[in-house]
Amino acid sequence: MSSATLPPAFQDLAPFADKWARPTEQARSEIRWGASPADFAGFYEAFMPKLDETLVFLADRPVCELSVEEENLFHLACAFAEAAPHHELYRGSAEVPHSFDARRFVAAHGQEET
Amino acid sequence: MSLANGAAAGLSHIQRSVEDVRAELGVAPVSVESIRNPDIYSDEQERIFRKCWLKVATAWELPKSGDYKVKELEVAGASVLIIRGKEDKIRAFHNVCTHRGNKVVPTSDFETFGHARANVVTCRFHGWVFGSDGALRSVPLKERFGEIDTSCLGLREIACDIWEGFIFINFDPVPAQSLKDYLGDFATLFGGYPYHEATTAFRYSTVLNCNWKVALYAFSEGYHVPTIHAGSLPGFSGIEHTDFKIMGPHASSAIYGGGMKTAQSTQKFAALLHKSERHRPHPDLLPAAINAAGRDDFQFELPNVFPNFLLHLASGCGYPGMAYFTHQFWPLEHSKTLWEGINYFRPAGSAAEKVAQIHVNALHRNAWLEDTATMEATFSGVMSGAIDEIYLMDEEFLIRHADRTQERFRAGEAVIS
Repeated sequence: MSSATLPPAFQDLAPFADKWARPTEQARSEIRWGASPADFAGFYEAFMPKLDETLVFLADRPVCELSVEEENLFHLACAFAEAAPHHELYRGSAEVPHSFDARRFVAAHGQEET
Repeated sequence: MSLANGAAAGLSHIQRSVEDVRAELGVAPVSVESIRNPDIYSDEQERIFRKCWLKVATAWELPKSGDYKVKELEVAGASVLIIRGKEDKIRAFHNVCTHRGNKVVPTSDFETFGHARANVVTCRFHGWVFGSDGALRSVPLKERFGEIDTSCLGLREIACDIWEGFIFINFDPVPAQSLKDYLGDFATLFGGYPYHEATTAFRYSTVLNCNWKVALYAFSEGYHVPTIHAGSLPGFSGIEHTDFKIMGPHASSAIYGGGMKTAQSTQKFAALLHKSERHRPHPDLLPAAINAAGRDDFQFELPNVFPNFLLHLASGCGYPGMAYFTHQFWPLEHSKTLWEGINYFRPAGSAAEKVAQIHVNALHRNAWLEDTATMEATFSGVMSGAIDEIYLMDEEFLIRHADRTQERFRAGEAVIS
């Protein structure tokens, strides 16, 4: 698999972008549902130290004006935003503990593709 | 509670202490009959869902003239076309061709969105053309009908009105009350907030194998938060469900809380949203009688807008950046319910704010996954016959009030004031 291209300061995260960065919520959910505690921990430990820098980098860029590299970073950050609770709160479980089957939730967010 | 502010809004008469609620609604256990007995469902269809105003859309979902939404409402056996017309007026029609009854706009799901080009919709069966005002505009081979008065063959209109951008319909050909009168004090209590500015919507839905009231009731109290949400909202402390209000068929209350042990990533996303004027907590925008005492630990106001609409108004004070969130519970049959939950934010100004909103949305979606986990089991339990009554504590008064209101409508009351 060819490595995703990220803005230069974030290029170290390319392997994580390959695994996690996807443009839609549904595609990101499917990756999370198949992830192991080690996958969540590895992603969290690699990305969390770069979170501040990522948010600063994306702070002056509207979603609709991102370059391909910036969009890859944005999708990676979206994946982190959704995956972090599984490491921080759910002990690495791919499912929210004691929850309804997440696959039965249908997401539809206005004009956005989900 | 600041009765002064409630009085300023002319709403002191809706406020209730715990003692008031106990006196007014009682403290006895409530029968599960209305949940368990399938025969009651047809009364609910006829006397509640075909009589009461139902929220079906928002004005900002249909921003341009010609924009439409079709909502499949099994509870009324209806497919409803909600469309913004040329002169910007939003109307609702049965999505039924007046020729022979085909659906004018084909649907793919419980909700279908589209745009009527040139402000017309055309039935695919024989090509009858209707304007966005419902009028029948064109009939192919019209001269071969012998006798036809197209001026009487517009789409069948459904009563439709708007409150604060929320679009409501009423299936009753002659509604017992206008929307304004039906919402009554609720409209005053919740009026004036800029709901239309929070146009970024994250919507989830699912079909639950339970009666609609089981789902409604599960979301109608804060008693469950420390237990059900121990995973997603760890250490949620000092939760208080108070400021009870009764407004005819509707009721409301406020949730306060000392907050939760926030995870490290959540702190960073929250900080980003909180430093933005657009997304920070805005208690200043809350209507006067909501959090009238100006408490710092206000989370959201939780009303039940009868029969099936919950509108949690947070103004960024609860979940970071979240303006409000809504739930609706649409019966599909006695034992099947379509649940819809929607989180509303003001639009993100940057990709970073969008990521933060996605985090907050995911936390709340996960909390909803915890909520929905109880519903099918609860319904099975009730249906098993093992219990005949449910026991309700003070903070579960919205359930007690809803149960009583349903009973009154089922008994034939048309107006509850």
